[in-house]
Amino acid sequence: MRHQVIIAGLGDTESALEDSRSIPEMVLAAVQTALADAGIDYGAIDSVVTASVDLFDGITASNIAVTEVVGAVMKPETRISADGLAAIAHGACQIWSGAYETVLVVAHAKTSMARYQELTQWAMDPIHVQPLGVDFLTCAGLQARLLAHGDAGADRRWAQIAADRRGRASRPLAPASSVEEILASKPVALPLRQGMCAPMGDGACAIVLRGAATGAQGPVLRGIGYDLEPHALGDRDLTHWHGLERALQRACKTAELQRAYAHFDFAEPSCLFAHEEELFTAAVKLREDTEISADGGLLAACVPVVAGMSRLATATRQLRGAEDGGRRALVHGTWGPVAQGQVVAILEGTPL
Amino acid sequence: MMREESIRIPFRFAAGRAGSRMLAALRDDKQILGSHCPVCVRTLAPARPFCPECGGENLKTVELGSGAVLVSWTDMPGRGLFALVRPDGADTAMIHKLLGQSGDFHIGARLRAVFAAERRGHIADLQGFEPDPGSAA
Repeated sequence: MRHQVIIAGLGDTESALEDSRSIPEMVLAAVQTALADAGIDYGAIDSVVTASVDLFDGITASNIAVTEVVGAVMKPETRISADGLAAIAHGACQIWSGAYETVLVVAHAKTSMARYQELTQWAMDPIHVQPLGVDFLTCAGLQARLLAHGDAGADRRWAQIAADRRGRASRPLAPASSVEEILASKPVALPLRQGMCAPMGDGACAIVLRGAATGAQGPVLRGIGYDLEPHALGDRDLTHWHGLERALQRACKTAELQRAYAHFDFAEPSCLFAHEEELFTAAVKLREDTEISADGGLLAACVPVVAGMSRLATATRQLRGAEDGGRRALVHGTWGPVAQGQVVAILEGTPL
Repeated sequence: MMREESIRIPFRFAAGRAGSRMLAALRDDKQILGSHCPVCVRTLAPARPFCPECGGENLKTVELGSGAVLVSWTDMPGRGLFALVRPDGADTAMIHKLLGQSGDFHIGARLRAVFAAERRGHIADLQGFEPDPGSAA
């Protein structure tokens, strides 16, 4: 019998183009909020999972800079160098297995520290690709061109998606703009323009996962699944998010849900480019009444690594605020060039 | 307060057996190499040490053509044009540069490889791909 995992506490810093705090200060703020939200202190934490990427932090073993503020001194800590939602997956497994009852999961990144896109070149093959100056934005442009081939309305639809998402955010990192303004915005990797890309910033997110035996209240993390595509772009079918389909299939299996009948009231995709939202909806085949990106999602404000965890935080708030409580959310995270890595989580609110 | 820093550390990346053959062929013969997987019955570009599909190492090195088909491309103003190109004889595409103006290209266009005059066993020995004027496609 698997132990039930409850999302017991949330804390995140407000995403900013530049957060002037140091990384430990920023992380501490998120952790303190999450612990207060869960009604616990550091002593209740059995285990910690952190998510960070050394290249982004300009420091190797970037987790050791936050050991103290995440309460990991003399505790088991695991670091995941991928999206924060993958760190949630690892934390959930620790509770499902019965190893621990309370797991703190923390993600952080500060894109203001360096030129983010330039850093992503160093995630590419060092013999065949990196020397050419290819970065994640190049890869996204190559994917967008394939998708737009023979589809004259694609760029206008993508501009519409970006305008809609940014328009519903309370504090977007890029100014709200019209479809026409986005279509006229700076070309960055044509057919992609600046306005179709997620604006990047700084932030941290902390989430407390607890086993049901602790008496914790909150939405239940029912299922998790993830998947990796091949690294080389030329080896992949860039027109579909096959990895997401497989990840969702696995998540449904762990949640003991029939994929074909699983309905989601809320979906929180991680879309770094507007065309990715079309790949997301095609892969997960949502019903029309599913609410997507309630707070504007990453197209309004994106902190790498924190991204998928910020989606989990938003979905948790949606479930907490739902009148009947008994709703289901699909949460999504990605990492790597054109979403090489895909992770999804299935959350359910507790019926009142 | 901010401390400004620029991290510059020299590195040496081993190209491996397949990568070294590929780079040597670019340098010495102006030739792009691929690998044929007899299990998956497909030819991969560029040459690989193992098949990413089945994991098999029993790959046969094959010489690919200097002609290619444009699979996709992107224009990054100030940085040039990048492309996914499928060299003749290959079943998969590789990333490289496009030489020319944005308006010269369309998906499915025929291309030809352009090699540097001075070559040193580096992926940039292949300068990129340009439109093939000898082709009507």
